[in-house]
Amino acid sequence: MTMLLDRADYVLAIILFLIGLYALVAKSNLIKKIIGLNIMETAVFIFIITGGLARDGSPPLVTQDTTSPYHDPVSQTIVLVGIVVAVSVTALALSLVTRIHAEHGTIEADELRGGR
Amino acid sequence: MSEWPGQLLVSVLALPVTGAALCLPLHRISDRVATAWTLLVTTVTCAGAFMVSVRVSHVGPFSHHLGGWLAPWGIELRADQFGALVGLAAPVFALVVFYGVRYSRHAVEAARRGPYDALLLINLGGLLGFSFTGDLFNLFVFMELFSLSAYALVAYGKQKVAAAASFRYLVMGAFSSLLVLFSIGLLYQLTGTLNMADMAYRLADGVPHRPVVLAFGALALGFMTKAAVFPLHLWLPDAHAAAPSPVSAILSGLVVKMGIVGLIRTYDIFQGAGGVDLPTFNMGLSTLGAIAIVFGAVLALIQDDIKLMLAYSTVSNIGYIAVGLGLFNESGLTGASIHIFNHAVIKAALFLALGALTFRTGYRTVSDLRGIGRRMPITVGALSVAVISVVGVPPTAGFVTKWYLAVGAVAAARPLLAATLVFSALVMLIYYLRIVNAFYFRPAVHEEVERAVDPPLDMLAPVVLLSGASLALGLIAQVPIGIALPGVMRLLGGG
Repeated sequence: MTMLLDRADYVLAIILFLIGLYALVAKSNLIKKIIGLNIMETAVFIFIITGGLARDGSPPLVTQDTTSPYHDPVSQTIVLVGIVVAVSVTALALSLVTRIHAEHGTIEADELRGGR
Repeated sequence: MSEWPGQLLVSVLALPVTGAALCLPLHRISDRVATAWTLLVTTVTCAGAFMVSVRVSHVGPFSHHLGGWLAPWGIELRADQFGALVGLAAPVFALVVFYGVRYSRHAVEAARRGPYDALLLINLGGLLGFSFTGDLFNLFVFMELFSLSAYALVAYGKQKVAAAASFRYLVMGAFSSLLVLFSIGLLYQLTGTLNMADMAYRLADGVPHRPVVLAFGALALGFMTKAAVFPLHLWLPDAHAAAPSPVSAILSGLVVKMGIVGLIRTYDIFQGAGGVDLPTFNMGLSTLGAIAIVFGAVLALIQDDIKLMLAYSTVSNIGYIAVGLGLFNESGLTGASIHIFNHAVIKAALFLALGALTFRTGYRTVSDLRGIGRRMPITVGALSVAVISVVGVPPTAGFVTKWYLAVGAVAAARPLLAATLVFSALVMLIYYLRIVNAFYFRPAVHEEVERAVDPPLDMLAPVVLLSGASLALGLIAQVPIGIALPGVMRLLGGG
């Protein structure tokens, strides 16, 4: 139990990931699938960010009075790039959904499959 | 560090990505200028990538440290033997783009042609960057470049199914990318480095086992989805069949191979890591590969739509590569790595030849295209040669791969696997004989087929060159094998 509390951030990330996975797999609405994907992405970002945090750390900025320990800048860079990628994926996915809606008149995956 | 090979490596990656940005404004000015620009950038980049491969084959792998920051702190670009095999296939990309000029005029409306060219260049940059990097996070970034451009390119297909196929491809792709990103984050927390060579060294140095296994699983699963290894192939057939033919050629020939390159990188990283049971993983991989071979071949057999047939044949061919990797002995790995290159050539020839038939007639099923052989003799002749090669009749490129895989299976004392290889070659022979029979020996049913003639030279030349290469590569197979072998030895732990 103490281990779980110690690693509350990881537990949270795993729960979020599973919620996103549920939405991605179980929901038929394509927009909800995209939301699920975004929740999963957020979970991974949280996992990477919290892994790079130091206890009582300061931001990784070099100034006159930088004191160690400071948070790991590489984890934050990874997540920044990850967010950029996630936004692009979401944008592309949403534009595809508008096209699917224009062509098929529905954005429900099960109706799409039936009417192919 | 400012020697020419390093600069060449940087320009091969920077040129297509920056060149893509210019495609859109140029397209506003003139369609012709933009096309010429795309062709120029593609040609120069692919020639550069080819030179990188030539250098790797002569002097071995080499690195470039971006901005002068030495590894493991800076980002290391690294051309090794497996990257060189992708570089060797870069001319295929150039030929496809060359062919695509006329095809895209017919298949893509004018307003969307600028982004189409830009996406092709971004895709090229992503493919080469993925193959030529020594940094795991850099690998992820380039992976997203070629993946995102591939999703968008699939949506250029004319059929109604294209957008939905692209969406499915996007969801599977994004999920696998997420697994890879998670694994990268975990590995970074475990080792404190992102350089792949450094990471392998530190992982061998005793890191807690359980998280390492988790990282390995996520990375391998992510790349297996990208490579469409059975049963993670579900996104592939629709996406590859819905895309315009030049895009299908690139997706089937090169983009799915990146998953395989990724798996090879995974082997590199986890070579000495404690807790990771590579033999069991390999056993599973080769079994999945064998299932994929049979499954892909049988499903290809029942398709009437030739593009879907070729897409299922890609599933089957990825199975061959997976079997070779899973055998993890000298013959198996050699066969798998040269098939990365051979299959790129063969499948590009097939998709482009079929594209030429569709371009002239508007049809793409076996039954509609009956009798086309007499009307378009050069195209169908080229198609037949490529067909013989993908089936694996000696002395073609496909035969060399299958020979190595069969020898590897026997060496690993798995005769059942060798039998699967032979059996599926027979099934493939049937479905390709079906095409050839329909094209040459059946009367035409459509007027468009009766009136069709071979396409103009700018489309015909790439088709003939690629299909000629798929034949010739069987005779000069020592070239790709010579490049792959030192890399294979490195994977097997010889240095």
